[in-house]
Amino acid sequence: MQISSKELVLLITITTFIFLIAPIFLIGYIFLYNKKKARHAEEKETLKKTFELELLKSQVEVQEHIMQTIASDLHDNIGQLLSLTSMTLSSIKADHLREEKINTASELTQRAIRELRQLSKMMNGQELIKKGLGTAIAYELEWLKRGLTYEVRFKETMPGPIPEHADKELILFRLFQEILSNIIRHAKATRIDIELDQKDGQLLLMVRDNGKGFIWEEKLRNSDGLGLFNLQKRTSMMDGTFHIDSIPGTGTEINVSIPYG
Amino acid sequence: MQAFFTVNTITELICLSICLFCLFRDKDIYWRSFMIYLFLVCAVEFTGIYLRLLHKSNYELYTYFLVIECTMVSCFFYRLYRKYHFKPSRLFSWLGLFMSIYGLELYTNHFSNFAYKTAAVMSVVFVVASLYYYMLILRDEYFRKLESYPPFWIVNGILFFYFGSTACNVFFDYLMQDKITSLGLSVRYVTFNILNVILYSCWSYAFICRYRQRN
Repeated sequence: MQISSKELVLLITITTFIFLIAPIFLIGYIFLYNKKKARHAEEKETLKKTFELELLKSQVEVQEHIMQTIASDLHDNIGQLLSLTSMTLSSIKADHLREEKINTASELTQRAIRELRQLSKMMNGQELIKKGLGTAIAYELEWLKRGLTYEVRFKETMPGPIPEHADKELILFRLFQEILSNIIRHAKATRIDIELDQKDGQLLLMVRDNGKGFIWEEKLRNSDGLGLFNLQKRTSMMDGTFHIDSIPGTGTEINVSIPYG
Repeated sequence: MQAFFTVNTITELICLSICLFCLFRDKDIYWRSFMIYLFLVCAVEFTGIYLRLLHKSNYELYTYFLVIECTMVSCFFYRLYRKYHFKPSRLFSWLGLFMSIYGLELYTNHFSNFAYKTAAVMSVVFVVASLYYYMLILRDEYFRKLESYPPFWIVNGILFFYFGSTACNVFFDYLMQDKITSLGLSVRYVTFNILNVILYSCWSYAFICRYRQRN
């Protein structure tokens, strides 16, 4: 069968065109679909994050509510009972020997009342945060300084609290309490440095100790660092960053930064 | 000497060089096997030109190479499908079917022509395999950045090449009868030049992506 050159050129053009254009369209479609899939995955991730944040907020609210209830119970019930005990003790008239013992018991009761009031105040996070995160941290550290076990330094360069971000401050305060509790329980430190700063729309908290330190990767591998992992997760839920820098034998530095402003 | 450096051979040599550079230290055997395959492609191409210069027919060489080509591409597809629980028996069934068609065609034409019918069947199967792969990645929940996803570009090259060559293989006899007067080349040769450039460009890009991913 003989075909002319013209027909052959036409055949080439048509064949090449169809067989090259079709895959181009197909691949183009796959790219578009893939981008749509990426957007969908992003939306899903955002929804998941929002849900987790809401869950965290609810958890914090429930926790705060429980602590508030305990704090007011301590203040109103046990505090009242102790006050009554103190009043009863001071009203007893006794001989010289017994009076001394009664006075001691009365002093002890007074101390118990003071400690109880401070504990009740500390437990009531929202009450503490009202005066600002810096004040709340300072109050917490006062409690720690009294033990004389630690040399504590606190540096605050935060201009002033933003009332709309009280929730974030409260979460950060609870994070701080947990970090501090970890240092007391595990670090065997003698010195703790805390810095609270606010710059470039970020609230920055640095906690450094001179304790025994640890290897973060090892802790994660042994599922031993769950507390720290939770702190990290809670920070990331607030779109923040949580960075641990620990050297065994030297100490640990934790930097928490959350959007603020 | 100049006769050895055609559009095809230059494209293949460039692709082989990129492949050697990018995949030499690759840990995946399927990816590393591209080096051997492309080396064989270049060797076959140069031998084909050499035979043509000696005025000997080279269709036998390309016919035998068809087996290597089919095995290589099929095994690569199998590697891609494997994570979607694709059974090895399907690969062996396909290779068995291919060998049967290939043997039957060679037997019927008395080893006197290129096995273009087998090549046409193979092209159709590879086009279907490429489309099936696209379907799998679209259905997959896991998101991949396709712009730099090496297997995707390997499959793109395969789709362009075998989709284009299906028509050439179907009209093999018809296309071999005449030449484009202006270029003095057969339509089939020109088409395969274009397809080869597309195929090896896609593959070279895939090798570069693979190299960048590894480092």
